[in-house]
Formats: sequence, C-alpha cells, structure tokens
Amino acid sequence: MRLMDYVQAQKLVNSYGIRSVGSRYVTSEDDAVAFASDDAIVLKVISDKQLHKASHGLIALNLDSEDKIRASYRALEKKAQQLLPYKILAQKMVRGGIEMIIGGNTDPQFGKILLVGLGGIYVETFRDFALRLCPVGKKDAQSMLHQLRSCKMLAPDGKSEEMIVSLLEKASKLFTENGMDELDLNPIILHDGTYDAVDLRLLSK
Amino acid sequence: MTEYANLDPIMHPKSVAIIGATDKPDKIGRVIMQNYLDVGFSGKIFPINVSNSGTILGLKAYKSVLDVKQSIDLAVIAIPAEFVPSVLEECGKAHVKGVVVVSAGFAEVGNVDLEKELERVARKYSLPVIGPNCLGVMDLRSRINTLFLPTYKLDKPKIGNISFASQSGAVGSAVLDVMMHEGFGLARFISYGNASVVDEVDVLNYLACDKETKVIVFYIEGVKRGKEFIEVARKATKIKPVVIIKGGRSETGMKAAHSHTAALAGNYEAYDAVFRQFGFTAAKDLKDILNYAKILSNQPLCTGSRVAILTNGGGLGVIATDAVSDSGLTLAQLSKESEETLRKQMPPIVNICMPLDIAGDADDKRFGDALAVLEDDPNVDALVVVALFQTPGADSRVASKLIHYATTSKKPMVVISMGGNFTELHKEMMESSGVPVYASPNDAANALAALINYSRYRQME
Repeated sequence: MRLMDYVQAQKLVNSYGIRSVGSRYVTSEDDAVAFASDDAIVLKVISDKQLHKASHGLIALNLDSEDKIRASYRALEKKAQQLLPYKILAQKMVRGGIEMIIGGNTDPQFGKILLVGLGGIYVETFRDFALRLCPVGKKDAQSMLHQLRSCKMLAPDGKSEEMIVSLLEKASKLFTENGMDELDLNPIILHDGTYDAVDLRLLSK
Repeated sequence: MTEYANLDPIMHPKSVAIIGATDKPDKIGRVIMQNYLDVGFSGKIFPINVSNSGTILGLKAYKSVLDVKQSIDLAVIAIPAEFVPSVLEECGKAHVKGVVVVSAGFAEVGNVDLEKELERVARKYSLPVIGPNCLGVMDLRSRINTLFLPTYKLDKPKIGNISFASQSGAVGSAVLDVMMHEGFGLARFISYGNASVVDEVDVLNYLACDKETKVIVFYIEGVKRGKEFIEVARKATKIKPVVIIKGGRSETGMKAAHSHTAALAGNYEAYDAVFRQFGFTAAKDLKDILNYAKILSNQPLCTGSRVAILTNGGGLGVIATDAVSDSGLTLAQLSKESEETLRKQMPPIVNICMPLDIAGDADDKRFGDALAVLEDDPNVDALVVVALFQTPGADSRVASKLIHYATTSKKPMVVISMGGNFTELHKEMMESSGVPVYASPNDAANALAALINYSRYRQME
C-alpha cells in the first residue's frame, strides 16, 4: 500500500469541499514555533514505515507554549530516527468536540465501500459504524447515519445531520474518483457547529 | 444488460432424463427415479444407465441420452463425478435444455480441474447447469423433484408462494423439511451447490421474475459476481421481498489492515451493507428467515410503525408491548372516537387503553368488535393480537374472526398464540388460512418490524 503525502492528500481532500485543520511540514524547532504563532499546535511524525502514529508515541498534542513545542519537537525527532525518511507535520490544535471517522475500503466482491462511525480512539472499542456501497447518495448517507448508535451524539440536530450527510456524499466522490483503495479521515472533530478532519490517510495499491 | 440463465426448462420440463437411474435400492439414482414417479410427474421420464438398456422401475432404459432420439428438456445427472463432463457433453449433443448435476466430488473436495471441465462443456453448449454437489430443484406445480432424499424423510409439501433457494444442500433440506412441517406453502425450491454455471445471480433473477413466487428466501455463503448480484438485487427487491441469510458471518476482516476502515469493513460487513442498501430482509438466524417469510407472504405492506395490541391475557399483553418496543416499533394511541366506541361495546372490566386487554372471557363477538374498531382507527398502522386459547372464551370462532380480519384488513396483523395441542390446532387453522401466527412475542414483533422496514424500502424513490 502506498500512502499519499499528507500535504498533497490535504489539498485533494480540500478540493472536494472537505474541511481539514490547517497543517504544514515544519523543518526545525523555530519553524514549528513560527507556525504556532501563539496558538496551540500538534506535532506528528509522518513516515511510510509507521502508519499507526498514535499507538507509537509519534504524536504530541496540545503544545500551548514555546517550551513545549521545542521539547516535543526534539523528542519526536529522536524517535523518528528509526523511521527515515520522515517528516514532521505541524497542525493547529482542535479542542473539544466529538470524534467521527469516515473511511473507504475496497471489497474484493462489491467494490468501493464508504464507512462512517464513532471515531478516534473509540473506533475499535465500540465498533459503532455503518457501511454503504459507493456512490453514496443523500438517502444512503442519511440511513447510514441513522444506523449508528451514536447518531444523536454525532448529529444532535437537523443542521449537524445535514452537514454530515453532505460530508459523506463528498467523501464518496473523493474516494471513488481518485484511484484510492483505502481512505481514513480519522478523526474528524465535530465542534462548534462545524468540523475539521485532523488526520488523513489516502492509500492505494 | 447482462444475460441471466433461463431456468424454465429445469423448472417446467416436459421430459426428464435421469442419468444414473437404477433399480438398485439405496442408490441415489433409484431415489430420484422413485421420487419422480411418486410426485406424479406427467411428462416423459427416460431412465439412463450406461450398463442397462432393459427397463428401470418399469420404464424403458437407455444407455445414453443420445439414444433417446426424443426431445429432452431436463437431464438430472447422478453418477460419479469423473464421468460427469463426458455425459454433459452428450447432453449438449442431444440438445438437452437444462441440467441438474447432483453428483459431488468437484471443487468442494479440491477437484477444481474437473469442475472447470464441467463448466467448459456447459458454456460450449450454452447449457444452464445447476450444481454440481447440490440437491437440485423441487417444483410442486410442474411436479418435479430432483432431490435424492427419500420422500418418507421429508414432510409432505404444500403448494404456495414462498420460494427457497439455498447454496447448501444441508441447510436446504433441513429448512425445507421445517417449512413443510410448519405448513408453509412452497413455490420453488432450488439448491444450487457449487454454483459453477448457474449461480446465485441467475437464481435470484429467475425467482424475481417468477410469477408464482411472492417471497424469496435465500441462503448464501458467498456471491461470485458482486456487480451483477447488486444489479439483480435492485430489481428483485422492488418486485418482492427477499429474505436472506449469509453463512460465514464470523470470518474476520483483513488481519493486518493498513487503515481503520479496512479493519472494520470485513467480508460480512460488506454483505450486510449490500443487504441494507438494496432492500433485502436480512436474518441472522435460520428461524428468522421463516418468521419473516411467514408475514411477508400474506400480509399487506405498511410503512407506519404505530402498533395496536389486542389481548385476551394481561401478562402476554405486557410482554407483547415490551417486544413491540424492543423491535423499534411504537405503541399506537387510540383515537377519541375509538375509545368512545370501545367504552360502549366492551364490558366494564375492560380498561380502554393500550395494550387493549379484553379479558379471558373474550369470545369471538368481543374480539370482532375490538378488531373492527382498531381496523378503522387512523392512529393504528398495524395489529398485534394475542389470542390465548387456554382462556374460557376462546375457541374456533375466535380463530375464524382472526382469519377474517387478517385476510381482509388493509393493515398487517400478526397473532401470538402459545400453548399445547388445542392451541396448535387453532394455529394450524389460522396459518393455513393466511394468518401469521407466532408462539413468541419477540418473533411476532421482529417479523412485523421486518415487514415495515421492507415496506419503507419499497416506498423510497
């Protein structure tokens, strides 16, 4: 499996009208501090050799001071030496909200399938997800959302439901039109009446 | 449009060759012959046996289909696997129109090349071939039965509107036997085994177009042509309900998946998505396929979920209310008019609320009055009736009243009756008249919910 470069993936995702949190690669402690410009940020090691970042301590969250940014940068850089070549991605920290996953998989029999579920660290614990074959239209998107036990958490009102339904339709297009085999937008943080995808994985064979 | 196999010559043959027919007791070829004679097949039967040109069970036998020199619609092949491809070749040359290969010993035991050879010959002659490694077909209207199971081992079937297709012969014969035992009416039975030529897509397409089939019940273990399956499923579920159960649910997804999504979206999950998206009524337990088929085969579609519960026993009314709620349906609120009418008609001991408990002394008159009110109430979409035949008031007249409403009402109705012989008698009376009766309140409520879900799918678009 080939993982699409993060920044390239972000451009592609954004071109489908899917929001993602502001990110860019940083090349030094100073660069990371400059990117933060007084906001809290997240630093992530990006390497083809390790796809599961969180479980390997390759993410530093909630860096809200220059000291923390510098210390974390140095620590991540050290860990990443075994994962050459690597890059360090800086992202603005998104606080609060509920984490959702939208994904795509290619079934050997039926082809491309879209997934929505309760995301982040809860994906494997609660396994609360729904699948539909692509292309996913409005009705499919509504029915997959209603299938979730966490439906009311993710979409507490009509407006947020509309937002997620439209997001699923966009994700279906993104997934089917770009020769991808697997897709993870996980987590997508739902907050303040909007959302931000904070991690993206676009994989192809 | 994709072309699908035409199974008409197999399901409505005017002449049948039974290859491997024999007089010897305990041989499959003998059982199949005997079954054809037993069901009273009215067409011509040609026993074929390579080492017998005398008579078999009193019919003139031939060494090969090529010797018959008359038109053969269906050939049933029951000979050792290694000889099947060459015999199939003869069927092709003799212009046989359809074939059922009951013989086992192909891909299922690793003889992949032998099965490929069978497939090649079938394609060469454009022969629809069901099997190999299958029970074949049963069709009570055209009186055919390729099953190699002696008739005394299965209950006697009734003609009806439910068709049952099964990849597995074991699931096929067990469920078929239960269907017969419980009085389900059968339209067609197709056990298609290894599906090397005629596969689940062809079978689904055939049953979707079949006028005698009102409900399709389908056991699958896998699908060979995913895209075509979906194409046919879209069409089929818009015409009639398809109750489906897939074996192999516990198979895990890809072990070392690269993404969370691939780890979650395993084999069964993909099937589950297809079932939901394309209007199947999916069951997870074998008992449910028949519970669902029962209501779908004789009750009207209904998209509303407000359920009125009528009972002649308090406790079962309470449990039925729980079951209705568990299955995602809601308890109906009777209209003011209904309440007033009921207050006038019912004795003072009857509390006019939901569930409506009309008491243990309720007779056919009281049941009838209550049913008439519920039938007319605009706040009621569907009816669950608990009819306990142990009660002083309940007898065959109550059953008749329920039959009247369940077969004439525009609202779907299910009956819950549990008990011993007296109850069984009335259950049979009601079921053979088209009333879905369940012993378990949960089964009744889940079946009603399945009907409502399917109705909503039909209403979409």
